[in-house]
Amino acid sequence: MLLLGAHPATQAGLAIALNSADGTVSLIDTDSYQVTGKVNVCKEPHHLMPTPDDKSLVVACAAANQLVFFDPLTGQEQKRVRNISDPYQLGYSPNRKWFVATSLRLDRVDIYDPTDFSLIARLPAPKTPSHLAFDDASQFVFVTLQDSNEVMAISLPTQKIAWVMPVATTPAGIVMSPDNRYLLVASMGEGVVEVIEWRSRQSIRKVPTGKAAHNLQPKGDGRHFYVSNRTVDGSISLLDTQTMTVVEQYEVPGGPDDMTVRADGKELWATARFARKVQVVDLVNKRLKLSIPVGSSPHGVFFLNHAGLR
Amino acid sequence: MINALIEAFVQLQGWLLDRVVQPPLLVLGLGSYIEMAFDGVELFLCGVLQISAAYLLLRPLEALRPIEVWPDRKPVRVDVTYSLLDRLGIIPLLVFAVLAPLFGSIDSWLRLNDIIPPQLEDLFPALETKPLASFLIYLALLDFAEYWRHRLSHSFRWWWALHAIHHSQRQMTLWTDSRNHVLDDLIGGFWFATVALLIGVPPGHFVGLLIAVKTIENLSHVNARLSFGRIGELLLVSPRYHRWHHALHLPTGEQYRHGCNFAVLFPLWDQLFGTQYRGRAMPPCGLADGPLPADAARSGFWRQQWEGLGALLAACRPAAAEATQPGGSTASDLRQEKPHAR
Repeated sequence: MLLLGAHPATQAGLAIALNSADGTVSLIDTDSYQVTGKVNVCKEPHHLMPTPDDKSLVVACAAANQLVFFDPLTGQEQKRVRNISDPYQLGYSPNRKWFVATSLRLDRVDIYDPTDFSLIARLPAPKTPSHLAFDDASQFVFVTLQDSNEVMAISLPTQKIAWVMPVATTPAGIVMSPDNRYLLVASMGEGVVEVIEWRSRQSIRKVPTGKAAHNLQPKGDGRHFYVSNRTVDGSISLLDTQTMTVVEQYEVPGGPDDMTVRADGKELWATARFARKVQVVDLVNKRLKLSIPVGSSPHGVFFLNHAGLR
Repeated sequence: MINALIEAFVQLQGWLLDRVVQPPLLVLGLGSYIEMAFDGVELFLCGVLQISAAYLLLRPLEALRPIEVWPDRKPVRVDVTYSLLDRLGIIPLLVFAVLAPLFGSIDSWLRLNDIIPPQLEDLFPALETKPLASFLIYLALLDFAEYWRHRLSHSFRWWWALHAIHHSQRQMTLWTDSRNHVLDDLIGGFWFATVALLIGVPPGHFVGLLIAVKTIENLSHVNARLSFGRIGELLLVSPRYHRWHHALHLPTGEQYRHGCNFAVLFPLWDQLFGTQYRGRAMPPCGLADGPLPADAARSGFWRQQWEGLGALLAACRPAAAEATQPGGSTASDLRQEKPHAR
């Protein structure tokens, strides 16, 4: 994941949530929690991520074969990059030299030049490449393979598959630990976060978090990660990466999926994939604060006033 | 009110996923199918709503303005079975399970060879942000493809052997539109998936497109004296218009040698390609003769499937091909002479 500092608080904040099944993004006022607009984007957008400078929000339009860039301050579309084949999950390498997109549906990982989005390499990645993470030195991108229960490491300098190792069933979210030592892999099948010492390719521990553990989001303190457990009853766990234990648990119904943490650490926003809502969790009082109705199958939420991404 | 209904729908969808669908998927190591299963549950619920609405609206119409009254409605029951299997997602799931890996592999191979299948939006980028216009254009394109699939299913002897099951019903009702051989459904799915791959049907449109097509198909098979008038029948397929497609005795004319009124939604295609027949009467339905046994109209689901396979094999035999050339059955009473050439 890319190292980004906490952004200074903005006044009238804008949150952008993308709705995969609707092909839209919902614009939400972060102060009033009201939806202020809905914008048509493309066919089947999956996942969003900010550019390294936070000046754009990139939406991966899987079925439309393109990337759509939004201004995260206004919600206005900035540009479209076409001929990006079936992008699902995205990532800029920490050194900003590589832009990687997984194609979950077509078993493939693409590596692009982020300056002009020209294709550098296209690698077969059976089966069902889902989320991705980088090491700090940008030597590798690590990809979870959901249906073959593996993690694949791709060497970025050579654009070759370096290794593949078995992990707990149906791996989805993957992040690098703040000390660059461990990969943390959320396993939907086992409801755990698996800790992997990636240099030796050893599975160190499996930390139970909740049924259908799906995604991880940094708290921004360089130590903790939130883990979404994506069931309809749903929950979000707080994982301490120093002790590798769950230290807090929040009930968040509706299939919590992607998350963003506010810069002051008081709120966590999560897309409830199965409830057409964005759930706002009050991290001070440790409870679900409110639900914001959005579109169908929300699959990503972002605001500029976010905590650091490590 | 609408928001409350949507909320109730979403709650039920989530409950079904969480309590019924997701647990076995996780146990079987199929967790990556959960999102797809969520869409499948939506399709199932939409199917329940669609078929309930069709029954509540169209069944009273059949009772009030029937074209035919039957003392024994037993032959209708098998069509109800077909409808439930179709609308509740059993047949679509089967078709999906067979075709999804195939089309996924084809698409994946294309991308690995730097071929991105073109889409409608590549020609008309404005459609990307105009969902209603996009929906209507995709609906028209798919209906055009369906016209040709339907017409070809009457033209090839082997395909007609399967499709004849649909036409064997003499008591045509709102339930009849799903009465198909499973292989015919599979071919239909293959056809649809190919077109979808070529033009890039948006996933968000999928449920809406299916509901639109199925609703009109329920209506067009209804046993009720209903037409949309001379003008209306130029715009949308009506029960009277489609009844001529199922007529026991087809209209006379070379252009009707394989049948008439093949359109599913828009009669425009029949008009453009010369297969339209604008009869005023409400003719009796069924097959006077054909590839199936004479009592096929009254047999049950499994027997019909078996008989369809038998008819398919018979149609594929060289001797059968020589004996019954496709085409030529235009007048109402000629089907006995060339039974495979509707």
